[in-house]
Amino acid sequence: MSPFSQTPSRLRSALRNLFTRPHVERELDADVRAYVDLLTDEKVRAGMDRNDARRAALVELGGIERVKDEVREVRTGAVLETTARDVRYAIRTLIRRPGFTVVAVIALALGIGATSAIFSVVNGVLLRPLPYRDPDGLVVILHEGRNPVAPANYLDWKRQSSLFSSFGAAEYWSGTVTGDVPERVQGLKVTSDVLAMTGVRPLIGRSFRADDDATTGDLPIILSWGYWQRRFAGKPDILGTSLIVSGTSYTVVGVMPRGFDFPMFWAPGVQMWTPLALGERASSRQSQSLRLFARLRRDASLEAAQAQMSAIAANLERAFPGTNPAVTVTPLATMVVGDIRTALLVLLGAVGFVLLIACANVAHMLLARASARHREMTVRLALGASRARLLRQLLTESVVLALVGGTLGIALARLGLRTLVALAGTSLPRADAIGLDLYVLAVTTVISLLTGLGFGLLPALRVSRSEMSEALRDGARGSTEGAGRSRIRSILVASEIALALVLLAGAGLAMRSFAALRAIDPGFDPRGVLSAVVSLYGTAEAPPGRRDAFYTSTLERVRQLPGVESASLINHLPIAGDIWGLQFLIEGRPRPRPADVPRSTFRVVYPGYFATMRLPLLRGRDVAETDRADAPRVVVVNDFFARRYWPNEDAVGKRVTFNPAAPAPTWFTVVGVVKNDVQSDWSAPAQEEVFLPYSQEREYLQSDGGHVGYMTLVVRTSCGAVRACNPASLAPAIRDAVGSLDRSVPVTDVQTMEDVITGANARPRFTLVLLATFAAVALVLAAVGIYGVISYAVSRRTHEIGVRVALGASPSAVVRLVVAQGMRVVTVGVVIGLAGALLASRLMTQLVYGVRVTDPMTYVGVAALLGAVALVASYIPARRATRIDPLAAMRTD
Amino acid sequence: MTDRQTNLLQGTLDLLILKSLALGELHGLGVARRVEQITRGTFQVKPGSLFPALYRMEEAGWLTSSWGASENNRRAKYYKLTAAGRKQLDAETSEWKRIAVAIGFALQAT
Repeated sequence: MSPFSQTPSRLRSALRNLFTRPHVERELDADVRAYVDLLTDEKVRAGMDRNDARRAALVELGGIERVKDEVREVRTGAVLETTARDVRYAIRTLIRRPGFTVVAVIALALGIGATSAIFSVVNGVLLRPLPYRDPDGLVVILHEGRNPVAPANYLDWKRQSSLFSSFGAAEYWSGTVTGDVPERVQGLKVTSDVLAMTGVRPLIGRSFRADDDATTGDLPIILSWGYWQRRFAGKPDILGTSLIVSGTSYTVVGVMPRGFDFPMFWAPGVQMWTPLALGERASSRQSQSLRLFARLRRDASLEAAQAQMSAIAANLERAFPGTNPAVTVTPLATMVVGDIRTALLVLLGAVGFVLLIACANVAHMLLARASARHREMTVRLALGASRARLLRQLLTESVVLALVGGTLGIALARLGLRTLVALAGTSLPRADAIGLDLYVLAVTTVISLLTGLGFGLLPALRVSRSEMSEALRDGARGSTEGAGRSRIRSILVASEIALALVLLAGAGLAMRSFAALRAIDPGFDPRGVLSAVVSLYGTAEAPPGRRDAFYTSTLERVRQLPGVESASLINHLPIAGDIWGLQFLIEGRPRPRPADVPRSTFRVVYPGYFATMRLPLLRGRDVAETDRADAPRVVVVNDFFARRYWPNEDAVGKRVTFNPAAPAPTWFTVVGVVKNDVQSDWSAPAQEEVFLPYSQEREYLQSDGGHVGYMTLVVRTSCGAVRACNPASLAPAIRDAVGSLDRSVPVTDVQTMEDVITGANARPRFTLVLLATFAAVALVLAAVGIYGVISYAVSRRTHEIGVRVALGASPSAVVRLVVAQGMRVVTVGVVIGLAGALLASRLMTQLVYGVRVTDPMTYVGVAALLGAVALVASYIPARRATRIDPLAAMRTD
Repeated sequence: MTDRQTNLLQGTLDLLILKSLALGELHGLGVARRVEQITRGTFQVKPGSLFPALYRMEEAGWLTSSWGASENNRRAKYYKLTAAGRKQLDAETSEWKRIAVAIGFALQAT
């Protein structure tokens, strides 16, 4: 008979066995008992006494339960049923030992929860593909991996390259949309290729077409889903609506789907897209404002594309010297993920260590229990249970424990994840892709199961291998535990110590690194300073002739607000703002080759900026209201600039020019030198920086462009110094002050300088907090491990210690004896851990600042900390050992 | 079966049980006694083998069972061959004969 023809019958049986179990069990019981009765009758008929006959029948049967068990084993669905029975038994056993269960579940929940949370982040940021069509083919083309490209270069590169199936450019763009509340809206100008190459279709309407790039009349615009909802309440007939952005009329032709964000690594959260028309800029190799995106042809490799682009740029550099610095072709995914990959992988490794420590901990707790259950297991073996059966039941217990811990861990991960994402702030790309999705849950479940098997297998093998003689011996004497098991537990604890030390070393390095970052002097005093962007572009105040007057009136009003000590304006706020550079030459110095002309960051300021920021003037003076457009041009340079170009002279009075190519350059006289401040990257070394007065800066005074249409207000409040308050509490007053001059002028990006700095350090703080948390958990788990092993050893050595005390051992000798046992294990763990930490330290190289990854102080410090904790953890049970009453101890036999 | 016989070919016990039920329905002890009888006492089926086999074969659809009264009025579960069981008996019988002949040849070979 084929197995298939039996299927319906088997299926019925399986269903019946599973769902009518009590009935099936009763029937089996009755069946076997009937057998005994019939057999008894038979023996009585053969002349036996009824009682003897019954006893003989039962002996012949070999035990009613045993027969029933054997039937259960062969029945369809037996595996499920046995498992269900094991699970019920495991739950009962675990409930009977609440102390053990709670500690084990907490340890596992911490390990699994932390792993699950970090894995969610890794999954969202690193593993999930970018939400574009065929995202692996998308590349970003920039100068030196990060600098934008000039229009003429873009056009030449696009024309001359052959390995891309599409090639487009995008430019950052922001404008003011007037209305009840004027607002500054961020957008991108893109060539038609850009949205097309993402493969994401608009939710409604159309994408850009090639002919849009040349449009001159009514410009098409595509809105983000969020802006459509917010500004237009998601009205369905949005297409064709006209929208005035900074005075220009646009027609809405499409809305992108919810959550669409491109290219993520730059200009995140833009709300509108409009075609990029290069116009007369098409021939410029100077204004580098474009970021280029391309899709590799299927048959082209990244290396080939890079080689081709480098060759093209090298040719152009020969034709137009100084215009084509190194070109880089970088996969979009790499740009998006950036250097957080290392941090995340280190964190994933760290969290894996925490999980391993939790496993080791639970494993030796189980081993300790194993001794207590020795007799139970021996009895069950003697009663005929097979070893496999015992092993399965013990493993079921571990897996149940792990799954309970896993469930609790997922709850922890849910809570932790929110904190984690908030902590990371903007330093974590793709934060919206992070979550406990089904994939993460599945992985967590698998991790829990493996964890259960991992920590359960060793103890289970030990226990199920119980020998009756050993059980009798150990159980009766209650002296020292079997040498083998004791060694395994010591190895487990030593491993815990070693893993904990690696984590502590990592956290120690992160902490020292963070301290070094905290110690960086930003140059200015951020406490009590509030900043806000005031945009005139697209408002009634936008005409060049009105802007200076508007800013001046704004400053007058803001300075009069209560709680304001001083106020000034700068074009780009340090750290948070843009970085613009200018080439320059020093008067009287030989002209370098075009490619070697030095560059400096330049900022445009109003008088009082240095005082407001408390950026000390080292020499000379601030820019002043007397530096009018018709007065001699002046500049304030930073200390780095002054020392580099006039190392042994006073920079004040020297002259530089910022249009080195001009036949009759305009000379700027250095009137002051200020301390170096942090320009952009928090930990970057100082670079050249110059400050020009707004009142003399021609581009700012004359251009209509949006790029000079805003300034950043910096306000020093009396918060912090004089009274306890948050500088941000002045934001409404500042908005009102600007609004009282012109209600259409938006005030945006209001943030305290301290928040700006916090944001700049979000990533190291994220790494530090997580590593420190994991290390702390590891330390606690390791301490619990040592405590467990030592107190267990003490309890097993009660008799021996009693004898020693009886023979005159002093309490301190007993303490030494016990602690020494603990410290031997700790020493082994620490030595292995130090070696491991040194090996792992290379991974930290990219993550630390201002401290060597092999910093001896850190290693000695964490080893000492771990040693101290271990000492305390073994001292507590040692103290208990001194209180052993020798008479009672020896009487326990 | 006695210990010495537990290594018999898998399926022998099935065949014996099927054969013992071919003549009519029996309760558990009855099956054991019938097997003993038809094998002239060579096979003694112990409950530890009998019951798992009966339940397995019932799940396979070869047997059905019903509760009835025994000769001395005890409630007992009676097993009966189904049509599938008869077919199985035929199949296993001819299979057994084939093997027996083959083994016979093998042992006579020189």
